Amino acid sequence: MQALEKKQDLAAQKPARRIGKAQREERILGYLFVLPVVIVILVLVYYPLAKGFSMSLHSLNFAMGPSDHFVGFKNYLHVIQDPDTIATAIHTLGYLAVAIFVELVGGLVFALTLNSHFRGRGIVLALTILPWALPGIVSGVLWSRIFHPDNGVLNNVLYRLGIIQDYQLWFSKPLYSIFFIGLVFVWSSLPLTILTLLAGLQTIPSELYDASAVDGAGPVYQFRFITLPLLRPALAVALTIGTVNALGIFDQIYVLNGTALGTRSITLQIYLMTFAQLRFGEGTALAFWLTLVTLAFSVGYIRSLRSARG
Amino acid sequence: MKRTLFRALVMIMIFGMLAAACTPAATPAPAQPTQPPAQPAQPTQPLAQPTQAPAKPTEPPVQPTQPPAPTEAAAAQPLKGQTIEVLLPPWAQLSQDMLDAFEKETGVKVNLTIAQWDAIRDKISVAGASGSPLADVAEFDWSWTGQFSKSGWFVPLEDKISKDLLADLQNTPSFTADGHLYAVPYSNDFRLTAYNTKMFEQAGITKPPATFDELVADLKLLKEKGGVKYPLGMFMSPTENVSTTWYLLTLAMGGDLFDKDMKPAFTDPNSGGYKALQWMVDMNKAGYVAPGGFSPDTSWDTKFVAGEAAVNLSTGPAIMPVANDPKQSTIVGQAGLTMVPGIDKPTASFGLPEGLGIMTTSKHQEAALAFINWWMKPENVLAIQANLGLLPTRTSVLEQEIKDNKLPGGEVLIEQAKLLKPLFPSGTPPWYSQFSTEAATLLNAALKGDMSVQDALNKLAAKATALQSGQ
Repeated sequence: MQALEKKQDLAAQKPARRIGKAQREERILGYLFVLPVVIVILVLVYYPLAKGFSMSLHSLNFAMGPSDHFVGFKNYLHVIQDPDTIATAIHTLGYLAVAIFVELVGGLVFALTLNSHFRGRGIVLALTILPWALPGIVSGVLWSRIFHPDNGVLNNVLYRLGIIQDYQLWFSKPLYSIFFIGLVFVWSSLPLTILTLLAGLQTIPSELYDASAVDGAGPVYQFRFITLPLLRPALAVALTIGTVNALGIFDQIYVLNGTALGTRSITLQIYLMTFAQLRFGEGTALAFWLTLVTLAFSVGYIRSLRSARG
Repeated sequence: MKRTLFRALVMIMIFGMLAAACTPAATPAPAQPTQPPAQPAQPTQPLAQPTQAPAKPTEPPVQPTQPPAPTEAAAAQPLKGQTIEVLLPPWAQLSQDMLDAFEKETGVKVNLTIAQWDAIRDKISVAGASGSPLADVAEFDWSWTGQFSKSGWFVPLEDKISKDLLADLQNTPSFTADGHLYAVPYSNDFRLTAYNTKMFEQAGITKPPATFDELVADLKLLKEKGGVKYPLGMFMSPTENVSTTWYLLTLAMGGDLFDKDMKPAFTDPNSGGYKALQWMVDMNKAGYVAPGGFSPDTSWDTKFVAGEAAVNLSTGPAIMPVANDPKQSTIVGQAGLTMVPGIDKPTASFGLPEGLGIMTTSKHQEAALAFINWWMKPENVLAIQANLGLLPTRTSVLEQEIKDNKLPGGEVLIEQAKLLKPLFPSGTPPWYSQFSTEAATLLNAALKGDMSVQDALNKLAAKATALQSGQ
């Protein structure tokens, strides 16, 4: 009897073992599928990151010689005390403010417009995406033709309309320059915000609007109590992407106003420090500061989104 | 199970293909380590001069760097089969015909990559910092000498080129640091002034200005009588160009950037540097310079040959071939060269020469050296001048051109060349790049009126002092 029970137990265990083996094989196969991507990410992302971090902890200044030594976080402290870094950080926040404000307000207006059905919507959508497809350096060159003080389109039009008496130097004052360069940046980054918000808008069920209309809600009320709350995830994504991009602004500044300190951003400062001045240790330390700030902004947006969801 | 195994095999194959794709391709050129050293008995001169013109009596005889080869052709081309990477800016883009001629002569193939000047510096920095090979021969600007000499990214060349060539070359001090020569100068660029003879005639001016007072008087006439709205071409943008313009005017006004103890010498209102910046500010305020001078993408050479400026204050010798080329210029036959004005007479200018350096990561240093030596042959220097407008760096070639009356603006060039002064008599310091970037910002601020001349120069002096003390 006992032998029979044992036999039955073994018979019951066999398929279980077979399933376990199959699962293990599946798991191994899964790992094999993932392995190439993991290796690529390790080699292309984490190895340079680790190498860069190690570099930031060394007194690496090739203009003073190839030898270096470990200095801990000295580079990190040194770069944030540098008046040029402080100035460029303030400028970067200026670009960020212009970019986020215009991208969110403008993006929302465009997305709401494109969410409605009208003739030629597809063409308008395609044209909207076009500036995003252009590399930053190209949009910079394009806008430098518009802002050019001698023969720029903007001066020409305003002069012919009698709005200005003389051709203007649009990048003469740092504050105006940051605003104008910020706008040029927004021109190329706005399409992404529009698309993100448009995708968010299209996930909102139309029944909600129909039901609220039956209850007597007008467009403003619908926007305030249906559209905005349900668009919050898309807004968080747009904010995160917009912030990351704005903190990395470089091309437009370089083309439109060179390396002038009055308009220099953090990334431009990193570039000058690292590649022009060969201060690799300090340059990478500043780059890691920027990474931390970017990360903090992104985490902040995601957390605020979670807390809003309750 | 079979299916699982099949999938695993497919994965392994894909992974294998990826790994194979990541492996560097084998180069057709023979591996360098298999070649014996050229002259083991002379460790300080390991590279021979196989490409020097044998016809030139002053050059050393050809010294084969390889063991005797089975055929005569192989012996004549000891470097045959090698390929070198050459990285140069657009103004040094040799024609394919010339590169083919070099290959025919030496058997060395050249892969020429053209990149913008500042992009080349960035590429060198990245490659140098990571220790990865970038090019065998690379552009080397005079302003990089201080930084790159310390970095160890370029091979010292003073013992590798012939003494005769070394003696014949101009501008070598600009590429020398701590007694080592890091590049062989190929472009004898220095600052002088170009003017439009037709515009001058129309304004009733009979001779080019020799002093700043004359220049200001001429600009007034050109604007009022000659109808040239913005007669003066002068950089004002926050770029290296505004810095070099100010350096030039500082020397031309009888000053220096630093005294013999390397203390800033430009904050005193009577100093050359102060007077230079004040003059630049005054010229802009007087409306002699087009506002486009503030734009980073403005090229005064382009504007000058388009007839948009009567005086191109700070230009190089290469302006003449361009100004007289109907494909590029609307002022053919109208351009004239003159020396940079001075207080009482032309007194000084400075050079912005460019050189060819060999990177330490190069595995074909002998072939790279052969390329530089080939470039420096008189006939090639002349051909490059004819094609690209680069003024020769070899004194013997320049003298012959003047003798044959073949150098456009020759007399002015020679006279100006006699007045060249180094910006940094003891060599370009390693902090030059930081100083120059700061100078560009502050000079631009003063020119825009955001800052007084005194404040801008005081701040620049403070920065220079801080940089020297390592802050």
